[in-house]
Amino acid sequence: MDLKRPLLLRRLSMVSLLLLFLLIAALFLGISIGSTGSGIGQGLATLFDGKDADAMGHTIIWQIRFPRVLLAILVGGTLSLGGLVFQALLRNPLAEPYILGISSGSGIGAIIGILAGFSRFPGVSATAFAGSMGTLLLLFVMSSGQAMLKKDTLLLSGVMVNAFCAALIMFLMSVTQDSRLHNIIFWLMGDLSTADLHQVGILAAVLIPGFVLLFCLSNAMNLLLMGRELAQTMGLNIKAATVTLLVATSFMVSLTVANCGPIGFVGLVMPHVLRLAFGPDHRILVPASILGGGTYMVLCDLLARTLPDQGEMPAGVITAMIGVPLFIILLKKSGR
Amino acid sequence: MKQIRYILFWITAFSLFFSSGPSAAGIATDETGRRVTVPDDPRRVVSFAPSITEIIFALGREDRLKGVSRFSDFPPEATRLPSVGSYIRLDLEKIVALRPDLCFATKDGNPKHVVTRLSALGIPVYVVNPKNLEAVMTTIHRIGGVLNAGPKADAIIQQMHTRISRVRSMVAKASTRPRVFFQIEISPIVSVGESTLINELIEIAGGINLAKGPTPYPRFSREQVLALAPEVLIITSMARGGRFEAVKREWGRWPSIPAVRNHRILMVDSNLFDRPSPRLVDALEILARLIHPGLFEGEK
Repeated sequence: MDLKRPLLLRRLSMVSLLLLFLLIAALFLGISIGSTGSGIGQGLATLFDGKDADAMGHTIIWQIRFPRVLLAILVGGTLSLGGLVFQALLRNPLAEPYILGISSGSGIGAIIGILAGFSRFPGVSATAFAGSMGTLLLLFVMSSGQAMLKKDTLLLSGVMVNAFCAALIMFLMSVTQDSRLHNIIFWLMGDLSTADLHQVGILAAVLIPGFVLLFCLSNAMNLLLMGRELAQTMGLNIKAATVTLLVATSFMVSLTVANCGPIGFVGLVMPHVLRLAFGPDHRILVPASILGGGTYMVLCDLLARTLPDQGEMPAGVITAMIGVPLFIILLKKSGR
Repeated sequence: MKQIRYILFWITAFSLFFSSGPSAAGIATDETGRRVTVPDDPRRVVSFAPSITEIIFALGREDRLKGVSRFSDFPPEATRLPSVGSYIRLDLEKIVALRPDLCFATKDGNPKHVVTRLSALGIPVYVVNPKNLEAVMTTIHRIGGVLNAGPKADAIIQQMHTRISRVRSMVAKASTRPRVFFQIEISPIVSVGESTLINELIEIAGGINLAKGPTPYPRFSREQVLALAPEVLIITSMARGGRFEAVKREWGRWPSIPAVRNHRILMVDSNLFDRPSPRLVDALEILARLIHPGLFEGEK
């Protein structure tokens, strides 16, 4: 990958710095605002005063809100990146990270975990992760060999697996009759509220190397989009690239969903928004997706926490309600 | 030598006496077997369930209560206390902001991860598990012990025992045990099974719970209810919103059901029947009157 070209490097730096700045601003807003309304002033104060000044405020901001905002960044970044990769791999603008059955597969795993009485972390997360990995395995078996490289086979198999798993989820929900039904529904709506620093740390340790790996493959994604023949003539090993991208991204998205449930729409809309804003070069889009997706998730989660009078909305509701108008505006502006 | 033995004996006796007391100081074991560090004199208590709120008010310790769960509506004073979210969806931030020195949670319903995180933040959470009438009284006793309201707790429990015994003895005089169908949900029709509080109340009140079985909240089709032929049909107001008349009319279309023929379709307040609190005995008395109206005629 040739980053030595000054123009590319300059664009990359500008985009990354801009988005990083937005991310930090969002991070700050995220830790300053919450259901007890500590406020921006107090947010600034805790950064400088240290623990003694206001132990309770400090606890709320650093032990409750900060892990949650970090989790939102990781989740938003992973989902946006997942959407970007799948859109490139499947050469389909409607592709999103859950298209290969990850969300419904992990849903089944999570429901089994909840019905078995496991606690959220690590029990239910583990079963959810196992569920999505199982679905992916099924998918690979179904579309094995050469068929995997034909983008439509993978896509169609994914849609079928998704539909089957969704039906299974509905069945499991209909036969659950006690308070565990609540747990199941809340899990399926997506929930960032169970974050703690330990959990977020583990997640970051796995996801950040994944981000780096996918950045290294960003030129491969550019080539894949040009079509098989052209990519091959440019020296790309299509099979290796496809498999690596598929496995790495699925792994990362599964991990995310296993932790917080399926949060929708981020993976579909963010890549398109960023493409409209910064162009189709994946070497710029990969970091942009991570930073932009993270910022978007933090802001949506903030709204989800603060808009309702009592309690909180599922974050997936806000991501769609804001994402759709945003996308339509950008679409109109780009004159398509 | 004898004097030293004498002194040692009294020191040992004293320390045994003080350490075998109720969980009013130091480390207590809650109703799920967790060891909780309970403050000697809890001053800022938060309740995570409406039933626990009722118990704390009944014990006269509401001055220590600084926060309650969202649907804590009895007694009415409880609605003025800050809410920390609904009991299945607690708001961690709001709880921490109240700076509690002790929280009470219930095993069935409160999310476990909130309890875990609060404990990790150094806030003790005492979990109770009032799954039947006996257990409710144990919970009242233990909460009373923790909040230093032992005598009041014992008085409440004594009164509950008396009233329950009274119902039992009245009901023993009945010649029949009517077949009761207790409906807690309209669509689908849901009733109550073996492990529920309501089932226990129905049995003590001298009725036969037609839905008794291993499933706690079994579903029925209208056909199945027809086949069961209940003599008394009780509908809880949880199936909410003035729909009782509509539900009653709906059942009225099936006069083959004895309860419909004899106009014994009755509504009760779900808050009395669902909550493992002292008011369960009120629910029991109401139920006994509904099931055996003849026995209680001429009473207040």
